[in-house]
Amino acid sequence: MNIVVCIKQVPDERTIRIDWKAMTILREGVDSIINPLDYVALEAALDLRRRAGGRVTAVSMGPPQSEGSLREALAAGADHGILLTDPAFAGSDTLATSHVLARAISKIRPLPDLVLCGMQTIDSDTGHVGPQIAEELNLPQVCGVMEIHLKGDSLVVKRLNDGFLDTIRITLPGLLSVNQGLCCVTHLPLGALEIAFSQRSIARWGLKELGLSEEEVGVRGSATRVQRLHPPASDREGELVSGSPHVLVDRLTHKLEALRILDEEDGK
Amino acid sequence: MRLEPTMKQAVIRRTVKKFADTRLAGAAVEMDKTGRFPWDIAREMAALQYFGLEIPIDYGGAGLDAVSSAMVVEEISRANAAMGLCVSVHNSVSAYPIYRFGNHDQHERFLLPLASGDKIGTFCLTEPNAGSDTASIESTATLKGDEYVLNGNKIFVTNGGISGINLILARVDPAENGGGFTVFIVESDRKGLEKGPPEDLMGMRGNPVCPISLNDCCVPGENILGKAGEGMKIVLSSLSGGRIGIGAQALGIAQASLDVSLKYARERYQFGKSLLEFEPIQKFLADMAIRIEGARLLIYRASNLKDKGLGYAIESAMAKLYASEVAVDATRMGVQIHGGYGYTKAYPIERYYRDAKVCEIYEGTSEIQRMVIARSLLREKGGPRGLGERPQSSASRDRGERGL
Amino acid sequence: MKKMENNRSSDGVWIFGDCRNHFQNRVTLQLIAKGKELAETLNTEVTVLVLGEQVHQYAMEYTAHGADVVMVAEHPGLKYYQVEMYTAVIARWIEASKPDILLAGATSFGREFFPRLAKRVHTGLSADCIGLEVDPETGNLLQTTPAFGGELLAEVVTSRHRPQMATVRPGVFQELQHNSKATGRILYPEIDVQPEQRVQLLGSQRQQVRKNNLEEAQVVVVGGRGLGSKEQFELVSELAELLEGEVGATRPAVLAGWSEEERLLGQTGKAVKPRLLISIGTSGALQYTAGIHGAETIIAINRDPRAPIFKMADLGLVGDSTTLLPLLLEALRKRIKNHYLEHIASSVRTSGGA
Repeated sequence: MNIVVCIKQVPDERTIRIDWKAMTILREGVDSIINPLDYVALEAALDLRRRAGGRVTAVSMGPPQSEGSLREALAAGADHGILLTDPAFAGSDTLATSHVLARAISKIRPLPDLVLCGMQTIDSDTGHVGPQIAEELNLPQVCGVMEIHLKGDSLVVKRLNDGFLDTIRITLPGLLSVNQGLCCVTHLPLGALEIAFSQRSIARWGLKELGLSEEEVGVRGSATRVQRLHPPASDREGELVSGSPHVLVDRLTHKLEALRILDEEDGK
Repeated sequence: MRLEPTMKQAVIRRTVKKFADTRLAGAAVEMDKTGRFPWDIAREMAALQYFGLEIPIDYGGAGLDAVSSAMVVEEISRANAAMGLCVSVHNSVSAYPIYRFGNHDQHERFLLPLASGDKIGTFCLTEPNAGSDTASIESTATLKGDEYVLNGNKIFVTNGGISGINLILARVDPAENGGGFTVFIVESDRKGLEKGPPEDLMGMRGNPVCPISLNDCCVPGENILGKAGEGMKIVLSSLSGGRIGIGAQALGIAQASLDVSLKYARERYQFGKSLLEFEPIQKFLADMAIRIEGARLLIYRASNLKDKGLGYAIESAMAKLYASEVAVDATRMGVQIHGGYGYTKAYPIERYYRDAKVCEIYEGTSEIQRMVIARSLLREKGGPRGLGERPQSSASRDRGERGL
Repeated sequence: MKKMENNRSSDGVWIFGDCRNHFQNRVTLQLIAKGKELAETLNTEVTVLVLGEQVHQYAMEYTAHGADVVMVAEHPGLKYYQVEMYTAVIARWIEASKPDILLAGATSFGREFFPRLAKRVHTGLSADCIGLEVDPETGNLLQTTPAFGGELLAEVVTSRHRPQMATVRPGVFQELQHNSKATGRILYPEIDVQPEQRVQLLGSQRQQVRKNNLEEAQVVVVGGRGLGSKEQFELVSELAELLEGEVGATRPAVLAGWSEEERLLGQTGKAVKPRLLISIGTSGALQYTAGIHGAETIIAINRDPRAPIFKMADLGLVGDSTTLLPLLLEALRKRIKNHYLEHIASSVRTSGGA
């Protein structure tokens, strides 16, 4: 089974800093990590390769320093790494990003049977890229997968969906986005890292290699734009209520109602 | 001249940090409380090649350069100083000397199990009457046929309680063939080697520091590391690498202190303000940060020289000395910043404070390091050395320390 | 809000009518309410899209809650939610009618199929919005979404593409009251439903998802020194259980033996980020509050109106927890019993759980 895993290098959430003028996250001097759910996707791909044979290719779109994450993927066991990097890609929203990734995946030989990605990233939190890649490549999709079973030329997967545990058959080729709980994330051996850096190579594809024009990517290829970034309001409303116990209890239960805390909750 | 870590080094650092945060930090409290060494975690680390940091991949090691290796020790020590000590000593003064000075047969018998973490290593130097004065050790090795009979008492052996392979410095009778100081590789299960109970230490608890005594312990000639009489040369060369390791360990402790102190000062309010707004606290934090940065640069410089195959004995002495004093300073300031809470076990800073102190003592006390550095200055012609000019010191050349 | 000139080529506020279960249905009603507000500013109508089998009663419910138009697609093939089938139907409706705005609740299904739909019609989509406003100058929809797990808020705009799509976090907006006199047009546009071959639902099991982990909990109830005794702290545990949440404790409560170290919140304990945190008998010492900043809503109960915890709370109740807790537990038990009965009724309606 030939598997492509989409990986994003993201800032470690504990060390983010903001450029308030440019409305972007500062990427210099900030610790970077592989997006945790993408790591889960990578582990899942390696596990499937153990069970079904084949090849695992890790693909990442990002600035040149994203190469570090691809080397980590190689150290974890991926067969190939492809870095999609080009100054023109900067400022891409999920529409443009999924376009670049989909184009890259369509150029991989042999054609992949399965595309895996993390359900969402810790920086953008959208969860859009997986489904949008699937749409562009006309692949069936299942999101939020927590179990994968091989069944002939299909996969049977399980996922939590709004309070229900769904069991779904998906034919290949297809795309899955994965959630926590699918795989245990293992730690990288240091020797494997050394080899990944000194002995392996990473392909680098830009606009030219992908056959894309500048209008299709970056800010020009995006539909959404971040206009402002601000921290959540730090002062809370601070409504103070005093009175008889019954008044207080009433106020509290109304608040709980308004927050929908007393309703049947979904599986989030 | 590169002062920024390479991409590889950055990735190695964050890989180790992730492991240290998830597997080592939690165990540190337990280790400190009970003094018990966590074998399960050590086995995990062995599988990830933490016990063969600078040993080539062909021998089952990680094949890292010295700078990366120092980063590994620093990140481990930041989460768990006792574990950092175990890894540092095992790597720099036990596995590496065998790699550097051992023959093919010794590589097979000893280096492979050390690099794979199958066996933990020690270097037994100190004796009841010989601390800084290594040359006055009283352990003897008497030739009998083609075996040497070892007798002596070694104390304060780091990793002693858990080791499988021990490097032991003893005196062969000067009148004998190739007499003088000799390093023997002695397996822990060899008859005549006995381990005493672990010391009850101020800090670094969880590392089983033990006395090891030799009573008519018979060791074959094949177990001599290098040549008979070469012992001192091996000791001095190993200590150079060991100093980098201990420096990195101290740096990890200092960095941890800064991290928790910054967090505490940010969240603690007195007189209606966060502690961060008070000048004395700002001074503490700034001083900690500057000194940590200085220690880090000294450690990287010494490691970098080692990687280039140049002499680094003095630079590693400087790095170890400075980093250990920074650690003691930083943890002192850290406790002070935490105030009364810093004196309780509810916060980790008191453990860092206890852990830091020994860094100024073992692997060459600060006083010895200062003497070593001063002597090298006196021997230099043409003025003090600096980052800009890098002649190899005649002193280090004399000791034959090239690329060690 | 200022009314806009109707001089644009795309028109209408559309809402995806998620009607699977009681919870999702309420989300739809919340969106209709907000949609009405936006539509008024934009001088246009609210249209709700309903797909499924035998969904006519939802069409009625939605008009009663504010929808001007309901577009219904009824087909046995649409009985269970299917990403590609729903995307196909709605994409064609979009092409035909060109709405200005299209919203869905950020439920698992909404977040799974909306991106695909946005890609198919090549437009912008923002995720999990907690705020929606019309920009008075441009008429564009200003979409406020959390980033970095909520550490930051991003204001997102789709200026050159239509419809402007967004998924919206449940519980952010308030639904309108049911108005049985309200009327709306219910339409049955033509649809061409292709059966889904590649993704097949084999089974679906209702999950009682109980998170035992404080750091993941959606509801946390914290007890502090002010409770006075272990017995009172036990009431805190009961409250947590009623609300299907987790129990937290401050350092004094742990030291007094009322709770374990694992439940400690704060500087040397855990940091939590639940939707709701109720803090009872805690003064608000910073060693503790350092652990609760991430909570969406904080409710505090304390005898002392000057207690620092009230500065951190969205709602503060000045009172004695010893009297309040038993009363609160009684009132909630009654409430929850009623909700449970209502839920049984609704799940009978939507059995199969698609």
